[in-house]
Parts: sequence; C-alpha cells; structure tokens
Amino acid sequence: MDFEPNENQTAILDGLEQLISSQAIEAPKDGVLVAFSEALDAELALGGFLDIAREEEFTLLDAALVVERLARLPVSAEVAFSALVAPLFAADTVQRPFALVSGNALAPARFLTVARTLIVDKGDELLMIEVDPARVEPVESLFAYPYGRLTSLDGLNMQTFGADMAAAVRRRWRLALAVEGVGLMQSAIDTVVDHVTNRYQFNRPLGSFQAVQHRLAIAAGKQQSARWLALRAAWSDSESDCAIAAAYLQDCIPAMVYDLHQFSGAMGLTLEFPLHFWTYRLKAMLGELGGGSAQARAAALATWPDAA
Amino acid sequence: MEFGWSEDQTAYRQRVKDVLAENLPEDWEERAIHGPGSTPVTRFSFEFCKILAEKNLLIPHWPVEYGGSAAQPWNHFILGEEAWQVGEPRGPQYMNVNWIGPVLMRYATDDQKARYLPPIVNGDVIWCQGFSEPSAGSDLASLRTKAERVEGGYIVNGAKVWTSFATHANHCFLLARNGTGKDGIMILLVDMTSPGIQVKQIPALIGEGDIHEFFLTDVFVPEENRLGAEGQAWEIISYALQNERIGIARYAFARRVLDSVIEELKADGRFDDPVVQDRAGRVLAKVEAARMMVYRVVDERAKEQPISAYGSLARYCLVEADHAVADFVLEFLPSGMLGGDPLQQAHHQRALYSGIASGAAEIQLNLAARRHLGLPSETTRGL
Repeated sequence: MDFEPNENQTAILDGLEQLISSQAIEAPKDGVLVAFSEALDAELALGGFLDIAREEEFTLLDAALVVERLARLPVSAEVAFSALVAPLFAADTVQRPFALVSGNALAPARFLTVARTLIVDKGDELLMIEVDPARVEPVESLFAYPYGRLTSLDGLNMQTFGADMAAAVRRRWRLALAVEGVGLMQSAIDTVVDHVTNRYQFNRPLGSFQAVQHRLAIAAGKQQSARWLALRAAWSDSESDCAIAAAYLQDCIPAMVYDLHQFSGAMGLTLEFPLHFWTYRLKAMLGELGGGSAQARAAALATWPDAA
Repeated sequence: MEFGWSEDQTAYRQRVKDVLAENLPEDWEERAIHGPGSTPVTRFSFEFCKILAEKNLLIPHWPVEYGGSAAQPWNHFILGEEAWQVGEPRGPQYMNVNWIGPVLMRYATDDQKARYLPPIVNGDVIWCQGFSEPSAGSDLASLRTKAERVEGGYIVNGAKVWTSFATHANHCFLLARNGTGKDGIMILLVDMTSPGIQVKQIPALIGEGDIHEFFLTDVFVPEENRLGAEGQAWEIISYALQNERIGIARYAFARRVLDSVIEELKADGRFDDPVVQDRAGRVLAKVEAARMMVYRVVDERAKEQPISAYGSLARYCLVEADHAVADFVLEFLPSGMLGGDPLQQAHHQRALYSGIASGAAEIQLNLAARRHLGLPSETTRGL
C-alpha cells in the first residue's frame, strides 16, 4: 500500500507537466460553452501519453494518473477512452480518437465530432464503427464536451464483439469516467475555493462563513474519496472496484455541482467564469453508462456475485 | 503508488485472524453485542489482551524500548481492523494502545512511564478520558473543572460527562484548569479510586458502558500525576486526538454487517430487486470510500509525514459510511433491530456515536475547511 507516486509515475507526470506548459493552456475567455483543444489532443498522442497502458514497463494506474491530471485543465481532449479503454484492443486494430455510447448507435456521443471510432455498448455485444466524418452532425449542448451524432449507419465499416468484450469495455469505461471525474472535481473545487476566498460580502470573505466552509469541506472529502477509489480501480482493474468508483463519482456529482455553482453566485452562471468547463463535463458524466444507479447495481452484483 | 498488501502484511493479517479465531470464546458473538465499555467485554479484555501481549500483538507498533517491536503502523492498523470487525475484544484497552500509551511515551516523565506503561503493555489496566463536561462538549476549551494548587499537588473539583469506560477505569486522563483560556488547562492522570470521585452510568441508546458522568469533589491529585506542564494540555490533546480520529476502523464492522445483511436478503430472494441492489451498491461505495481515506491517513503516518487535515476528511467519510449502512439495514431488514440479528443492533449502536465521539463531525469539517482547503477564518474581515 503506497499512496505516493513511484519513480515511473513521477517521471510520467513531470513529462506531462512539461507538455502542458508548452501548450500555454488557458480557459477560453470568449464566452464559449465547449473548450476542446485539437492541438493538445495531437501533442498528447504524439508524445505517447495515451499509449502508456500498452507499454510493458508502465501500468493502467500510470495511465490513470495522466487522465486525472489532464482532466484538471479547462480544455478537454479525448484522453480517457484512448488511455484506459482502447488498450483492450490490439493497437493496430483501432484508431483514436474514440467516442463511446450505450445502446443506440445514433445517440449523441462525447467527442464524436472528432472521433475516428465509435464504440457502441449494446449490453451483450459491442459494435466498433469506423466513423465517417461526413455522417456526423454536431450536437449543441450545455455540456462542455464536443458532442455529435451519426446521421445513419448505412455503409459504415463495423465490427461486432461478444459479451465478454462488451463487459470489459464497460468496466474500463467506468474506470475512465471515475478517473476523469476526480480531475474535473478537483479543478472545480479549486476554482470555487479561490472565488470564496477573494469575494467579500458582509465585510467578510464568503469562504469564512461556516455554511460555505462545511459544504466545501464535504466536497473536498468526496473528491478525495472518489480519487482513491478511482486510482484503486485502475490498480486492480476489477469489476467491483471499477463499478464502485464510477458509482461513487456519479453519486457525488449532483450535490457537489449544485454547491459549487451556488457559492459562485451569478458569476458561476456566466461563461466568462471558467467553472462550467469542469462542472458541465461532470454533468455530462452523470447520465453515462446508464447513470449512477446502473453503476451501483453493477458494484453490488460484482461484490456479491451469486445474487440474482 | 499501489494499493495491495505485501506478503508480510497478508501473513500478519492471517496471524491476527488466527489468534482471534483461536481465542474468542464460543459465546463471543453474544458478548460482543455489547459495546467495548460494557462489563462483559471489559472483563474479557483483561483475558484477551494478555493473550495478545504474549503473542506480541497488543502493542506491536510501539518502540522496542517500551515493549513493542517497532512494527509498521500498517500492522497496528490491520490489527485494529480485524479487532473492530469482530466487536473489539480489546474492549476499552484499544484506547490505551492507540493513544494513551503513545501520548505517555511522548510527554510523560520517566517515573510516570515506569508507573503507567507496564500495565498497558501487560493488558491489565483500563483508562478513561475526562474531557467533556456539561457545558464543554465540542467547545472543549470552555471546560470548568478546576485544579487548585495545594502543597504536593492539586485539589480538583468539577464534573465530567459522556465519559466512556468510567465504571471500570483505573485511571482517568483528565483535563482541568487553573487559569484562563486554552493556556490555563492541564492534564492530570487521576487514580479513579481517589476519595471524592463518584461515577454514575447514564442509560443510553448506545448500550451499557459507554456514557457516564462523574463528579470530582475535593479530589487530591499528587503533582507527580500531572502530565506535561501546566498549560500544555492543548498541545498534548491535539496530538492525542490526531491518533484517535481514525483510530477505529469503523468501515470494517460496517462492511461486515453490510455483507451479512446482503446474505440474508439473498436468502429471501430480495436481493434480486434492482432497487435493493442500487441502494446496496451506493452504500458499499461509501464504505469503501471511507476505507481508502483511512488508508491514506495510515500511509501518511507510516511515512512519518507531518500530520495533515486528512484525518478530519477521513473521519467525516467514516461517519457517512457508518450511518449509510445503519440506515440501509433499517430500511431493508428492520427485523434485525427487532431481535432478528443482534449484530445489526450492535452496529447501529456504534454508528450512533461515530459522528459525536472523538470530536463532532462538524468540528472536523471546520478543521478541513481551514487546514485542507485553506479557507479564511470566521473572524476574517476587510474590504
């Protein structure tokens, strides 16, 4: 049991910091809902950060630390699926970026506007669809990810995988969601802590009121809990740990996001305040994989397996 | 970073499990329904702690010079996890080894160490902590019990309340004041058989042995029984409470009860209900979250890093987990609380005070807000 990064992990994270610094990433100030960086996405792929889990000397946990760190940025890139889900498939058989969707292949999916592969979880089987950009229409939403949907499946190349691969992808998708979510939570909390420290009302910083302090402390405790559950899941890659981590994260999102926006007041409703770049990615995650209840049930069934 | 147990830790856990299995009496489950401070569990603790002492399992994490084997904090925590999970057969003595002893090692005189540590090491002493008072609970610094200096010591007058283990305690780790504010408080190690001490158990929802009030009327405490200097109490109890806040592996007992309730629900076919699965999964996640938060704190201690506010965050998670399990049981298997499963009631009673004992959960949130998040003090003014 060791909660500190090892030598490999420290080296990876140091390298990642250098890449992030070189990109001079800032939250967009032009009032946009979505902040996706093609340049960052390309640099990460080029630097090998998205293939870490495929390398013999590295682990899935190492890849998870990369995903977590990048989620703290105000701009998104398709990182979690590439780093944590894609390694289930042979490297030369899949092309990133990826989009994942449950059930209906024509449903809106995160990153589909930039994806080359759409993975569709149909429960007892899995479809892998080669995306034709001409068949993708952007979907506008409040969520801070780029969303798109396929207009039709006619003539698209696709492969079908069986129930085992579908289950494995769901497991890693839960992991991806949990790990990315804790990074988003961290930056959202940091943003609001900074705001309530510097925003004075009644001649006091907002953050000096106990009503604010308690709820932010609870948020911090939940974020840290979610973090260790997610990193444990990356370490074990077990059905139960991945489901527990995702269930916990999704369970925490509504109250935490409510509080973070509440403490930001009207400022948090504007697009010039960067909070939505994290909270509206978290809200997007709330309904993924069937929502928190599906993850909770999966956790229960994986933990007490001879049920049902 | 990794989250597995080493071979040594796994072997150590198995050893602890074996010792528990070999030495807990057949009727242990019935005894363990009562809390750690109850008469049946306290009596058994004298027998059991001696066995642990013989097997070098009572104080393995203590330094060698005090009778321990300087084992990793992880080993001590594994022991605590396994012990709390089965109902804490060390009874009140878990407190001795968790923090009374370590505090004495750090702050006691050589004479005090010679007097107080061997009985802890041998497993034949009970301590209680005389902190809370009728008008000083979370606001501990407002305590009123007075220690008036007299020749050779102090005359103590006052009242303490909510005190666990007081009926059976040999000694009390008592806070009393002879000045104002936090700097006016001292710690006295009081012989509970001293003339002028009257202990009264308060009937409580949480069962026998854990809530008392006791009165001190002109109790003489020799000067050599003062721990540290006059006015040093706040520093000492801050150190003590850091050890106490996550000292109990509450998630371990909560998980055991959750597992056992799920088995019952499965046997009745009720676990096929997706609503039950949903609720069970969410509760499970809270229990595992608490486990990981506590492990994070133990890791910090094992590496001898400065004490952070992480213990406060972890403590709040423990409280949430304990109550989540208790409420799940009440909703889905209430028969357990109606004589159907004494284990459930035992957990319920322990969960009831998890957010109150060792500093209220809301005080932990205050500490986390200030020390973990760096939020401004309530007295900050400006602009």
